Amino acid sequence: MYLNHLSITNFRNFARLDIDIPRRVILLVGDNAQGKTSLLEAVYFLAACTSFQTNVDRQVVNFLEAKGDSLAVARLVAEFQKGNSRHRLEVRLILEPIGSNGKRLRKEVLVDGVKKPVNEAIGLFNAVVFVPQMSQIIEGRPEERRRYLDLALAQVIPAYTRTLSEYGQALSQRNALLKLLNERGGDVDQLFVWDETLSRLGSEIILWRIRAVQELERFAGRTHHRLTNGSEILRLAYQPSYDPLPKPEGQIPMELDTPVDRSNLKLEEIQIGFTERLNQLRQEEIARGVTTIGPQRDEIRLLANGLDLGDYGSRGQIRTALLSLKLAEVEWMKERTGHWPVILFDEVMAELDLQRRSDLLAYLEESEQVLLTATDVNMFAPGFIEQAAVWDVQAGTVKNRSPEA
Amino acid sequence: MMLLPDPLQKLINALERLPGIGPKSASRLAFFLLRAPEDAAADLADALTDLKEKIAFCQECFNITEAGRERCEVCESPQRDAGILCVVEEALDVLALERTGGYFGKYHVLHGVISPIEGIGPDDLKIKPLIERVERGEVNEVILATNPSMEGDATALYLHQQLERLGVNVTRLARGLPVGGDLEYADQSTLLRALAGRQAMN
Repeated sequence: MYLNHLSITNFRNFARLDIDIPRRVILLVGDNAQGKTSLLEAVYFLAACTSFQTNVDRQVVNFLEAKGDSLAVARLVAEFQKGNSRHRLEVRLILEPIGSNGKRLRKEVLVDGVKKPVNEAIGLFNAVVFVPQMSQIIEGRPEERRRYLDLALAQVIPAYTRTLSEYGQALSQRNALLKLLNERGGDVDQLFVWDETLSRLGSEIILWRIRAVQELERFAGRTHHRLTNGSEILRLAYQPSYDPLPKPEGQIPMELDTPVDRSNLKLEEIQIGFTERLNQLRQEEIARGVTTIGPQRDEIRLLANGLDLGDYGSRGQIRTALLSLKLAEVEWMKERTGHWPVILFDEVMAELDLQRRSDLLAYLEESEQVLLTATDVNMFAPGFIEQAAVWDVQAGTVKNRSPEA
Repeated sequence: MMLLPDPLQKLINALERLPGIGPKSASRLAFFLLRAPEDAAADLADALTDLKEKIAFCQECFNITEAGRERCEVCESPQRDAGILCVVEEALDVLALERTGGYFGKYHVLHGVISPIEGIGPDDLKIKPLIERVERGEVNEVILATNPSMEGDATALYLHQQLERLGVNVTRLARGLPVGGDLEYADQSTLLRALAGRQAMN
């Protein structure tokens, strides 16, 4: 799929932008802090209805506009082509004052002019984004990796977002009950209801994550092998907090670099096992007043040649692994949805040697639409630049350097 | 900052506690009543007092009824099938089911759903009286008609567990597509549920 037209109002440092987008590689050139990354963020926002950065959704509303106690609205409108159909997607971010000093961010999504619930609009338009700060996915805390996987799954599995939010709701209810039982005592049998709900929703999430990690690993492994000249084998190890696989005798923790195959597990098996485990943990969980297992505590580790990259990876290794992961996401999304996602790559060339650069560019040219940022256009071969559209990004404005395109 | 006279502020505060009323609507309503003819305010006040004095809850099913009556119309009616109980969250749900004209059993109103976040457990609802009713043995079938929300489902699940051991037949309202609805416009989860709950044609 690809964007035909994009219009942005009050998003980050863009006051107003209205631009036609060609179906090919677009080079965004400009100094730092001019809006290159914000442009990628805006496009990604249309796919995920959230920023790729954690907890910044309200900051994307242009802060000059959002000053004072008046209402502030950021608006993104994309017209895009997906297969044979053309759609219009509009995301409005409304920062409205509540009470005396608070502000609340409300999101509205319109698909072809019709208002839709946010979780139904996610996945209609697909994009994969790479920015250098995303090395946090590998080095950062486990929630970074869960968020990464959740955002990718949300775009691919239509029911994922809703299930995830329902799981969160069930989890809050169960934790509230555990706390009540801890503080005031009461009928422990009530837990059964929430165990049931939690494991029903949780098992769906676990199963989707098992499959996603496995499929992503298949693509990432191949790409990484190529990117490292065959010197590194990349693995993604999913470590579910509730592991539906029976532990070996004596509960010896599994070695991280031992591949574990969970692909044959059935949904019912996971759910039954999950419920049983919650049952076993009941006394402990009441004592602690909180749910101790489940997707909210899952972990995904990335390993190169058996070494945990989060703990031992060098900067270069991590960047390369991240790129492999992102390219895998592109392939995975393409396989799952039948369409190329729009590719958004920020400063991706700097870390690569000449050979890798031309390999990557050759791959990107196969896709439908790519937005690439660079501070220096000379990083690209003249032949590549000729094929691409070059846009100058300066202080929140975008100029097409090759207007005939 | 100008302070409102105490009686006005008290009214605004009271109105604000109503569901769906924010601070703005509350002050608008309060000022409307201030300016309205005297009998408008008096009528409202009377209606509110009557509400508490003249309305009572049926001792059998906990539906609303007029004060002085121990049991509501439905519970006293000999035409209604005492063998079927429909369990609902609120009295308003009884009204909705009555409007269908297609239900001839009796009711049981829970007055809420289980929600630990709000501190509502089974003991805060009319669940014990329900179990006592079923234990008396007249009932063959209990229809769980709580809302298809997470808390409604959880309450149904809990009731099922409690009632199952009494040997009564427990059913849950079907969920699926609205009549006269359009498949195209149904939301995903409704459609998924409808698909899962499909029935053989006969």
